[in-house]
Amino acid sequence: MSTRTFKPGETVDFVVVGSGAAGGVMARELSQAGFEVLVLEQGPRFTAADFKHDELDTWFNNALLNDPETSPQSFRKTAQDRAARVRDFPSLWYARMVGGSSNHFTANYWRFHEVDFKERSLLGAIPGTSFADWPIDYAELEPYYTKVEWDVGVSGLAGASPFDPPRSKPYPMPPLPVKSSGVLLERGARKLGLHPFPAPMAIASQPYRGRPACAHCGFCIGFGCEMRAKSSTLYTMLPEAEATGRCEVRSESYVFRVNTDDRGRVTGVTYFDEDRREHFQGARAVVLSANGAETARLLLMSANARFPDGLANSSGLVGRNLMFNTYAEVNAIFERELNEYKSVQVTRIVHDFYDSEPKRGFYGGGGFDARIGPNPIAWSLFAPPPERAWGAEFKSLLEALPRAMIVASHGTSLPLESNRVDLDPELKDAWGLPAMRVTYRDHPDDLAMGRFLQDRGVEVMQAAGAQQVWKAPLGESPGSPHLLGTCRMGNDPKTSVVDRYHRTHDIPNLFLCDGSSFVTSGRGQPTMTIQALAFRAADHIARFARGGDI
Amino acid sequence: MGAEDTSRRRFLQAAGGTLGAAWIALHWPQVVEAAAHAHEAATGSVDHAFKLLTPPQARDVEAIASQIVPSGATPGAREAGVVYFIDHVHGGVFARNATSFVGGLAAFQDEFAKSHPGAGLFADVDASTQISHLKAVDTTPFFGRMRFLTVLGLLSLPSYGGNENKAGWKVVGFVDRHVWEPPFGHYDAGYPGFEPYAKERQS
Repeated sequence: MSTRTFKPGETVDFVVVGSGAAGGVMARELSQAGFEVLVLEQGPRFTAADFKHDELDTWFNNALLNDPETSPQSFRKTAQDRAARVRDFPSLWYARMVGGSSNHFTANYWRFHEVDFKERSLLGAIPGTSFADWPIDYAELEPYYTKVEWDVGVSGLAGASPFDPPRSKPYPMPPLPVKSSGVLLERGARKLGLHPFPAPMAIASQPYRGRPACAHCGFCIGFGCEMRAKSSTLYTMLPEAEATGRCEVRSESYVFRVNTDDRGRVTGVTYFDEDRREHFQGARAVVLSANGAETARLLLMSANARFPDGLANSSGLVGRNLMFNTYAEVNAIFERELNEYKSVQVTRIVHDFYDSEPKRGFYGGGGFDARIGPNPIAWSLFAPPPERAWGAEFKSLLEALPRAMIVASHGTSLPLESNRVDLDPELKDAWGLPAMRVTYRDHPDDLAMGRFLQDRGVEVMQAAGAQQVWKAPLGESPGSPHLLGTCRMGNDPKTSVVDRYHRTHDIPNLFLCDGSSFVTSGRGQPTMTIQALAFRAADHIARFARGGDI
Repeated sequence: MGAEDTSRRRFLQAAGGTLGAAWIALHWPQVVEAAAHAHEAATGSVDHAFKLLTPPQARDVEAIASQIVPSGATPGAREAGVVYFIDHVHGGVFARNATSFVGGLAAFQDEFAKSHPGAGLFADVDASTQISHLKAVDTTPFFGRMRFLTVLGLLSLPSYGGNENKAGWKVVGFVDRHVWEPPFGHYDAGYPGFEPYAKERQS
């Protein structure tokens, strides 16, 4: 069956805004359920052959990201500060292309644990924060985690981690081959009595559903996969959606307004095509899966006489409670070569510090993994400590890169109403639309947890026999690729934006599903949960549509 | 030679000839195109004509870059042709930064002339004088930019004008191939396999 192309003026069942991790799942599930689905994606459509081993263009020229010249952002730490325009690299970073950030992600696919959904009940309130339970629990999401693993494609070893939550099926593919960094992390962690285990990754370790296995080229984090081995929606969900004959993925279609009628229902969306011509697209229902930054911005940009504070914003929470996942690094150099420029980023992880422990004196939990990060350029720029940043000492570090690795830790970020995405009152993008303004300051507990995990990483590297170990500076976050919490899910319309089925409390035919739905941040690898939520939401949305309840 | 022969040859070059025939047969259709363009981007001739920098500017840029990544047992910024990269990218991928870069360089040269009267250019003085001057200015935005550009000129694809003869990749032990197989390094060779944990912790 050939790809569907909808005619101008044709009203579709669903418009899905965004084609990334969540939008791709939504498109596939709703079209396979028999509905007509138009996916509108602001970026272009690339093929595997367009992705290059070009670190300069990819990491230092925003080849896959929003261009800060045409899609600017501003950043400030608190509402009292004046936001400054961000240059060179965006604060909130995501791939602007069909498949979205599922193209350039690292592909760490951790399930949430049971505790992630009910920490407020277990630990109590945290003053000054919006810390809350989710309206759903792990058991309700478990079948959808399994669906992600099998339908999208995740490699891993079931039962390897003693901390893993219950699962109904093993992984469909074995873990990727261990790298030297993974062996060393495992060696050090086991010596300390910890429980390192093979990392679950959304990368094919063997041929899977028509895609080839990973060729270990090493250009993974931040890059699109030219082997089609990374389980990006570009290669998995979207072609399957198009194969139904009921789904069109329309690229270079930049949605800037969700339209509503006199009854307060959504009628469709308005977008710019690649020639900046404006089009209205009618839809019976709209799903925003534009990511935790763009979904909130689009709702705020869609303010009208009936919804003066933006759509779905009667709670005032659209854009608020932005969470990043605190990230910290430890550098280590060993005696012999690791050659971390080869293969995927992560092959071993540690979850022994996943749960929050009140005796630590602060809230937080997380995990850490063995990796190197983008290299050779980014490592050479950012890993050296300040006293070895140039000259002979710098050169000797560069020569040590084959023997280097990083322990990267990923932790909780508390939800704070003051951390948010909103519309910059002055700065505009190249289309004349309000730029995204980011306000973010890490909660002290988030940084304390980051430092705690960093210290554990140092111990593990020392136990593994590293010759040199040093911590990367850990300060307040200037931005993140993890964009969470800005339209949080909940049962109470006063304290949340969407209900437990991702339907907005305010508008019955408007649904939001992406990182914006998160109530808490999890421990650092959100895409697995974003996709599980999308599979679950699509099931319910299809049920509502069949029952005339939209 | 036909087109397919050419691309097969390029693929084998990019893959480094390390792969078995069975692997290639399985994956051939998926990798050949990517491997071919990767190989092209990593080669190409180096253009040694300056488009932006004047000869005195080029001498100073090269001298600064050579202190950031000095030559020695392995190549430094000079051997990698970093100065050509810095010149060329300001007419290409970083064209929008050309004015601020040249302005920063002029300010650097003015500052050096003021603090070293009669010494000539930064490039003219001895290494220890260069190093002590750079230590005095290594927190300035211009030095930060020079460090950034030096690393990129050392390690980017040669098609950007630096990393001549892949000299920078030799420094950091990066090998320009498209496909790898385990073992990847010293420590994963001979890994016995993941040993499962006893179920002691699960509650």
